[in-house]
Amino acid sequence: MQGFIKTLFGDKYTLGVAGVCIFVAVALLHSPAAILAGAVLPVTLLGGAAYLARR
Amino acid sequence: MMGALIATYLTATVEWVEAYTIVLAVALSIGWPRALGAAGSALLLLAVLTTIGSLILTMIHDLTILQFIIGVFLTLFGVRWLGKAIARGAGLKKLHDEDAEFAGLRARADIHEARAAWWIAFNGMLLEGLEVWLIVVALGVQTHHTVAASLAAAVALLVVCVAGILARKPLAKVPENTIKFTVGSGILSFGTYWVLESLGYQWPLGDASLLALFAFYALGGLALIRLYRFKSAASGVV
Repeated sequence: MQGFIKTLFGDKYTLGVAGVCIFVAVALLHSPAAILAGAVLPVTLLGGAAYLARR
Repeated sequence: MMGALIATYLTATVEWVEAYTIVLAVALSIGWPRALGAAGSALLLLAVLTTIGSLILTMIHDLTILQFIIGVFLTLFGVRWLGKAIARGAGLKKLHDEDAEFAGLRARADIHEARAAWWIAFNGMLLEGLEVWLIVVALGVQTHHTVAASLAAAVALLVVCVAGILARKPLAKVPENTIKFTVGSGILSFGTYWVLESLGYQWPLGDASLLALFAFYALGGLALIRLYRFKSAASGVV
């Protein structure tokens, strides 16, 4: 069961990275700078992948 | 659609290669019929899970919610695989070694006991197959090609089986990290695209934005690998 959950959601760090990135994108989409979301989400996710790689 | 099928095929190839190593190690202890029986049972369970997963997702009638859920799952999967591939490419983590994995399994005491060995093969096949299941269901439902995505995973299984029969040893020469890096970039592109689109964002290039996202993640990932290698080398010199 643990393997199943980890496969679906990853560990807490992966969840944290994806959660923060999507939260930032949602916040941007509800701001006057909504057009930037398409650039900011990929940049934050790549930053998240870099963080996960260092762990 | 083609991109989704290629991503499914490549994901499945990596996972089936890892599953083959486990089944091979078990087969040498309890024989091929039992080991294949365990692997077949796991595959059957995965097929049932694929059907159930697809049915549950297709019951969500709001396409925006469906796209968001699938996008989030793909983002979680993609960022994990890309992170792992960057770490391995930069030497921060050991590359996945099928020969070492095989030796480790053969050294396990319980692999020579029939029931325990059967469970090792069953669990191994199931856990490796779960990632294939996730991709088949997520990409298949979202692109309305679940059958085609399942077939791509089945073709990958067939190719790995044939390679395994010919090699009769772990498939250590498969460039797993390169495939994981490519698939991680691809899946993360799909995830990013669908998450934002479901939230109302209009991609300036339409579907072509997927290619731009893939290029961004792949080139960014390669740059990170170089940066981390450079940092490791610099700290080694000091």
